[in-house]
Amino acid sequence: MGKKKKKMQGAPQAAEVPVDRRGACRLRIRKLFVLSRRGLWGLGLFLLVSTGVVAGMRYMPPVPAGLRQVLGPSPPVNLISLALAVYAFSALVLILSRMMGGSGTYRGWSHLGYLSAFYLFYYYGNSLEESFWAVFAAGLTILGLEHYHIWTFASDAIRKEKEDLVQLERRDRFLSGEGP
Amino acid sequence: MLRSLAARAVVPVALTVTGFVVVCCVLLYSFIKQDMVNDAIQREVSLADTLIKSTRYTMLKADRETLRETIRNIGEQHGVEHVRIFNKKGLIMFSAEPSELDRLVDKKSEGCVECHDGPEPATALGPMERARGFTNERGEYVLAITAPIYNEAGCSLAACHEPAPEAQVLGTLDIGLSQGQLKRNLATLGWRMASFCLMVMILTVGGVMALLRRSVFLPIRELLTYAEGVAEGRAEREPPRGADEVERLGRFFHQIAERLHRHSRDEDKVPVEEKEKGDGTG
Repeated sequence: MGKKKKKMQGAPQAAEVPVDRRGACRLRIRKLFVLSRRGLWGLGLFLLVSTGVVAGMRYMPPVPAGLRQVLGPSPPVNLISLALAVYAFSALVLILSRMMGGSGTYRGWSHLGYLSAFYLFYYYGNSLEESFWAVFAAGLTILGLEHYHIWTFASDAIRKEKEDLVQLERRDRFLSGEGP
Repeated sequence: MLRSLAARAVVPVALTVTGFVVVCCVLLYSFIKQDMVNDAIQREVSLADTLIKSTRYTMLKADRETLRETIRNIGEQHGVEHVRIFNKKGLIMFSAEPSELDRLVDKKSEGCVECHDGPEPATALGPMERARGFTNERGEYVLAITAPIYNEAGCSLAACHEPAPEAQVLGTLDIGLSQGQLKRNLATLGWRMASFCLMVMILTVGGVMALLRRSVFLPIRELLTYAEGVAEGRAEREPPRGADEVERLGRFFHQIAERLHRHSRDEDKVPVEEKEKGDGTG
């Protein structure tokens, strides 16, 4: 009886560490859930920007002559297209290499900026209507792959964290004397 | 489903390859389209210049009837949407469409505004600035070129026009050709590229799946079946063969299974009395 009493008295102290670890585990799972949805946010924002560009193509006036004088002539459209192809290629290679390396960083926000800049360049070069689909396809591919990468990474990590959590709970129950 | 090995192997490859091919096809399509439109403009500019040169003598002779007939005949050609010559003030003097005659052209309209934008009208434009595209009432896309008819030494001698320094441009030839065929060719090109993208996607997904199935998925499935057998205590089977890594993994499983089997056999050999004695002391 005395042995049992000792065990029961010692239980809260022993369970304190697992409870903290369980809390940390749950926090990590929450953060991972947020991370897994980040790719979708990036894709959603890109779709929003593209919808704005489609609407803008109909209603937005051409670049004012004054602004064009200040900024100078636009680069040739063929060069912008070449830059888009090189950018898409290097972005995809970088995402694939991050997938191979098992990195959990999301770079979708910077891609969103680059893709919007391409829309702006084509608009300034009076070629947005012809080149819209190229930027749109590049954006969907890059951000789609980025989403898939971060989603699979976060899903794997969540599964591991959940397994750890189950083990911690089992251990906690065992230490508190509630049995396995 | 996306957690399976097949999905993890195929989705990124298919997405990357198909996406990049689509981007390149769209860019290639816009390059080809631009080249084809530029070619069409160059051809039309040449046609307009040829027309001006071939009617020059008629103009010098002030033979309006022949000029009218020439314009009418050209207008009847297949693919020619309109041909007209208007004077400096924008009054249509000759046209393949008689109802257009003696009408004023709007200087603010597309094709005119390029020269008449500033206070002084421009007298020379590059071939690309002289072109304009629009869709006519029949829904057909038309590419039109305006070519200025310059005042040359012979023109003012014919007493129809002012001397050269006063008027640099005497009139303008406006010719529009239907680009329906160009549009149809571009649409065909677009379809061909779309089917090319689809084929690339099918080949990528199919190729990756076929290779992975043969060298990864099937050996892993065999290994799984073997491991299940071992877990259930059936280690008599030979480990599966295939890729080097799978074979090694199978051999390791086999060794573990044999060791476990040997261990349990040894345990079974221990007499029951010894076991009981051991339990009692422990």
